[in-house]
Amino acid sequence: MKLKRTNWNRRDFLKTASAATLSALAAGYSRPIFAADSAEVKAKATADTVIVLWMAGGMAHTETFDPKRYAPFSKGMPAKDMLSTFPQIDTAVDHIKFSQGLEKTAAVMDRGTLIRSYTAGDLGFILHSRHQFQWHTGYAPPQTVACPHIGSFIARTLGPKNPAMPAFIDIGQRFDLGEGEELKSFHTAGFLGSENGPFIISEPAEAAASVRPPGGMSPARFQNREKFYKSLVADSPIGLHGSDFQKESLLRSMDNADRLLSSPAAKAFDLSLEPKPSYDIYNTGRFGLGCLLARRLTEAGARFIEVTSEYIPFVNFDTHENGHTRMAALKQTIDAPIAQLVLDLEQRGLLDRTLIVLASEFSRDALVEGKPDKPVAGQVAQPDRVDDLKYYGMHRHFTDAGSVLLFGGGIKRGHLHGLTSEEQPCKTIKDRVIIEDLHASIYRAVGISPKLSYDIEKRPFYVTRDGSGVPITDLFA
Amino acid sequence: MEKLQKDLMETRFNCVYYNAFYVSAMKSKLAKVVVAVVVFLGLNQPGWGALTPAQIQALPPAATHPVDFKTEIKPIFEASCIRCHGRGRDKGGLQIDSLETLLKGGDSGPSVVAGQATNSYLLAMVAGVLPDDIMPKKGKKLTPEQCGILRAWIDQGLKWDPSVGFGPVEPLNLAERLPAIPHGKNEDNPVDRFMDAYFQQHHIKPGRPVADRVYARRAYLDTIGLLPSPQELRAFEHSSKSGKREALVQALLSRNDAYAENWLSFWNDLLRNDYKGTGYIDGGRKQITHWLYSALLTNMPYDQFVAELINPTDDSAGFTKGIVWRGVVNASQKPEMQAAQNISQVFMGINLKCASCHDSFINDWQLSDSYGLANIYSDKPLEIFECDKPTGKMAATKFLFPQLGEIEATTNKAVRLRELATLVTCPKDGRLPRTIVNRLWARFMGRGLIEPVDDMQQTAWNQDLLDWLADDLVAHHYDLKVTIARILTSKAYQLAPVDSGSQPRENYVFAGPEVRRMSAEEFRDALATLTGIGYSNPDAEIGATETAKRQFGQKKSGQWIWNNPKAADLAPAGHIYLRKTVHLPVVPGEATALVVCDNGFELFVNGHKAGSGTDFPKPSLIDMKPWLKKGDNVVAIHAINNLPNNTVPPIGKPISGSDNPAGLYVYARVRATRGDSETVMDFVSDQGWIVTDNLIDGWEKPEFRPSGWRPANPLGGLSMAPWRLPSSLVATQFARQYSAGHPGLVRAALVAADPLMTALGRPNRDQVVTTRASEATTLQALELTNGKTVAEVLKRGAAQLAEENAGSKKLIDSIFEQAIGRKPTRKEMKLAYEIIGPKPQKAGVEDFLWATSMLPEFQLIY
Repeated sequence: MKLKRTNWNRRDFLKTASAATLSALAAGYSRPIFAADSAEVKAKATADTVIVLWMAGGMAHTETFDPKRYAPFSKGMPAKDMLSTFPQIDTAVDHIKFSQGLEKTAAVMDRGTLIRSYTAGDLGFILHSRHQFQWHTGYAPPQTVACPHIGSFIARTLGPKNPAMPAFIDIGQRFDLGEGEELKSFHTAGFLGSENGPFIISEPAEAAASVRPPGGMSPARFQNREKFYKSLVADSPIGLHGSDFQKESLLRSMDNADRLLSSPAAKAFDLSLEPKPSYDIYNTGRFGLGCLLARRLTEAGARFIEVTSEYIPFVNFDTHENGHTRMAALKQTIDAPIAQLVLDLEQRGLLDRTLIVLASEFSRDALVEGKPDKPVAGQVAQPDRVDDLKYYGMHRHFTDAGSVLLFGGGIKRGHLHGLTSEEQPCKTIKDRVIIEDLHASIYRAVGISPKLSYDIEKRPFYVTRDGSGVPITDLFA
Repeated sequence: MEKLQKDLMETRFNCVYYNAFYVSAMKSKLAKVVVAVVVFLGLNQPGWGALTPAQIQALPPAATHPVDFKTEIKPIFEASCIRCHGRGRDKGGLQIDSLETLLKGGDSGPSVVAGQATNSYLLAMVAGVLPDDIMPKKGKKLTPEQCGILRAWIDQGLKWDPSVGFGPVEPLNLAERLPAIPHGKNEDNPVDRFMDAYFQQHHIKPGRPVADRVYARRAYLDTIGLLPSPQELRAFEHSSKSGKREALVQALLSRNDAYAENWLSFWNDLLRNDYKGTGYIDGGRKQITHWLYSALLTNMPYDQFVAELINPTDDSAGFTKGIVWRGVVNASQKPEMQAAQNISQVFMGINLKCASCHDSFINDWQLSDSYGLANIYSDKPLEIFECDKPTGKMAATKFLFPQLGEIEATTNKAVRLRELATLVTCPKDGRLPRTIVNRLWARFMGRGLIEPVDDMQQTAWNQDLLDWLADDLVAHHYDLKVTIARILTSKAYQLAPVDSGSQPRENYVFAGPEVRRMSAEEFRDALATLTGIGYSNPDAEIGATETAKRQFGQKKSGQWIWNNPKAADLAPAGHIYLRKTVHLPVVPGEATALVVCDNGFELFVNGHKAGSGTDFPKPSLIDMKPWLKKGDNVVAIHAINNLPNNTVPPIGKPISGSDNPAGLYVYARVRATRGDSETVMDFVSDQGWIVTDNLIDGWEKPEFRPSGWRPANPLGGLSMAPWRLPSSLVATQFARQYSAGHPGLVRAALVAADPLMTALGRPNRDQVVTTRASEATTLQALELTNGKTVAEVLKRGAAQLAEENAGSKKLIDSIFEQAIGRKPTRKEMKLAYEIIGPKPQKAGVEDFLWATSMLPEFQLIY
């Protein structure tokens, strides 16, 4: 009996299928409950792709995009004098200064908006992964349902841009490290179902392998294997039972996988195809290569991409000590790739419809752990006087300020939103931004209502916490 | 007056639309009185007044058709009104249970006047023409169309369908009930008598039972999660014994190890248990693995199982302990609240999650219910939080079904827990057995008698069958294997498989078990069966399995020894030297010594250093084989008792005042195998060793002649104090080592999730999971197509198979039979032969294995 092939174009399917059909075919997956204004909001989308550049571990705002009074290291200096350990530099926008070490990103500041007033949630004694969970899902764990990552909400709602590409791609994080289980708990589509889950590429340099035949298998052998498989399926006596949902869904998924591996889009994963001069600019390390991969995937039609500097406890941005020294090195790894990503997308005419969001789970301060008015249990030793470079820098977990950089995707150009204090602690004093509203703004950019919800166990689960997110209109052109 | 006060104080929250003014304003007693007086004066008037002409004009126009109560009014009431005015609730004094109560109205007088819509308070409120009095208070307001329908309904005389009411709802599936088994065809299995009645009712003529091979594959997977071997399939098929299917199920259910390993995954999902996961850092989570495995291995009766989870011992406490993340947590997720949610969902099919923040919008459970249950687990009475804001009210302990009994209001938590366990597992509680029986039916048939399986406040599509199966379970002392056998031996289960996509969600009609997909663990184990490549190291701490105990259990009894009879209490820090002459009648094929020494040791075999250990209490496994020979062998051990600060003492005289426990335990497993027979030459630490504390050069060499050495002092068995090592230690360690050398023996259920199993749907058990999504996804397919795990397994498996070189045709036959339970067709054989080649070569075999394991016939359970 001939194999029945159904052409499942996902986006068409979503558009035309009724909720009942979706339910039946999804065998119990959540149904979308569209907010009344959803059709209207969809029309206003200013971006088709989202790239999140994740500065994992708590990126100090005063050492990056919100520099304050500079105090160079001198043995015995008071810890409270440490606001910024780098001098300021100019950017392409007159009234915005960055911290030294971010010259290239400074040169493209006029392509986007800087939020200086992001403040993280009050979750008590700080655990990085808990704040990361809240940043990425909008909800603080534990929760009664498996919460979807914002990438999954977007993948589920909008579908893939290029049907051959996974809609949600996550680059740069390994999970067999500290707090790996906690990281896994939000790198998921949760109750939305794993069709919308992240396609994980831990090593950007090896991305090509994830869309190639298994190691050591030539393309010819791969095609032959596929052909053999299809023949076996076609001649299977099971066909006599008639077609069934499980079989169809299995074969369809295998088709999708094969299609990705054989499609031109798969070339996007292969960094070795990038011209060397360009490759070299991005090649500051795994994060830089991740940015290059993100650009290539955007060109190939990915929907949501996250590139992380990688969370490893006490490593990278998680500076419990030697903050200054480590930040100097970190800025070197992020500066050129971020700027090049913006410039490359602009040059290819893609920046206008690609929203780039650079963010971190919280910031850092020399003295305050948590917020000045809501301090939490300390975790970092910081002597009153700084005798050693080890104690020179921003080491404590500060949730009362934070810098978020936004480029492209309908965002205002050369704009500053929010203000932080010039004195220690450099907390938010104007236009506080909370995660619900940041997410609402991202959703608005891609045409999703912050009140959109999906039904799980009859509970409407909103894409922003309890539907409370309000897009920050000041951010949009 | 009191009612008004109560209403005002009970302001509630809609999670979607936050209300800024709330109860804290009412905390002051004076404020309460003042407001109550004001409201009293304001509202305590006869009737509610009337609408002005302008307001009447603003009312949406009445619908122009005859309004049908059941299809038009009932849905409006259910969606927008009964949350506050139905199911026993009476906000503002108004209950809309029936026409009588609706007409009676509430504190503001009658709500409707028949025939006079414009004079009906209810309509004015829902239409929004009274600015201070808009209904519903929470949720979406009524549309003009809906108002128009109501208006017309009122004007048309308030026709009410007497079969409809909105009063308090009786809990379903709670009372015990034993339905009579229907007469009819001579079916042995009562399940089929009930199903016959069902089929007749639905004019279904059930087909014939599936073939033996199909049945066997289902039964093996559903009982022990493993594929039948070709030999087992053939034997089963050829058997002509009557009742062979029943006998097969019984035989499978008595394979205790395999049964426990299979159902471990089912219960790990339900009880939110895992070997790795969130919450373990910071000690915020505890496994129940050891207890659970043990319970499954011994087929613990279900009532006892549930009781030990609800009122736990240390071993089973992890379930109700919940997952505690570092920091401040939403009030609805406090461990006590998690316990209440999890117990009610898993054991009773009740969703208290919504009711943990506010009165539920999706069922009739209220905030006080979830807190009442959580209170049982709390050391101090809980303060009720609504939408994560404190209300100032304290929770009153209460059990969800007062019909079954009450929990004593005592400060003694142990008593409360015991009472809760008793209540939930008492025979009067018909909800407990129905919930589990329904889960089992869903697992085997693809869809429960009630769906979703976590909502047992529904009628089953065959209520008599559900009730009978539940009663049957209880009657057999809650033996779940009895229920499993009932279902798996029923004709209903043996019907041809049904397409799961062909059924609408509503108006489901059973026509047979649905086509299902193998779980992640089943797939991985099947792949291991096919290729011989599985896992070697379990992550689950389950002690020694029955099989392991049989194979690796102790043949001799060893003791802790030292050169001092009181060493288990106190022995001076220092070095001792022990020797034993071991006579081996034949050369051993394997010889491994398990050594545990408080605190460190070196082991010599015939003068050669074979190994050492300092990691007390971690046992060391040391290979002695290279140096053992037939005849006499000298085994020598240098044992060290550390100083109290755990450092190694200098060699020489023992140091006074340094006394602390010391002991050496050795179990040497020495075997020679020839064909079927095994020569056991094990030896242990006992008084047969001689010991000295004098270091003499060459003491460990076979040619050394010990002089003045004394017999070692035996101290006691392995599990003696202060060390208390488990008696299963020897079996566990040797089994572990064996499976490490023979990968493929550890089942997927016993290891932590890897990317392959995660991709195939093994859940992150942060929450209770009662059903896994089975639909295939692209990410899964990618993992299967080019993922490292599968590729590695296939590569190694293919290499082994190619090496065995059984001949291509034989290989193809055996893989097919093992994988899908039948021989290949001629066409399939031809295709496979092409890819493998006349002499099986690795790449071809790899690709053949891959394609076979991607076949729907392999991955699906038909």
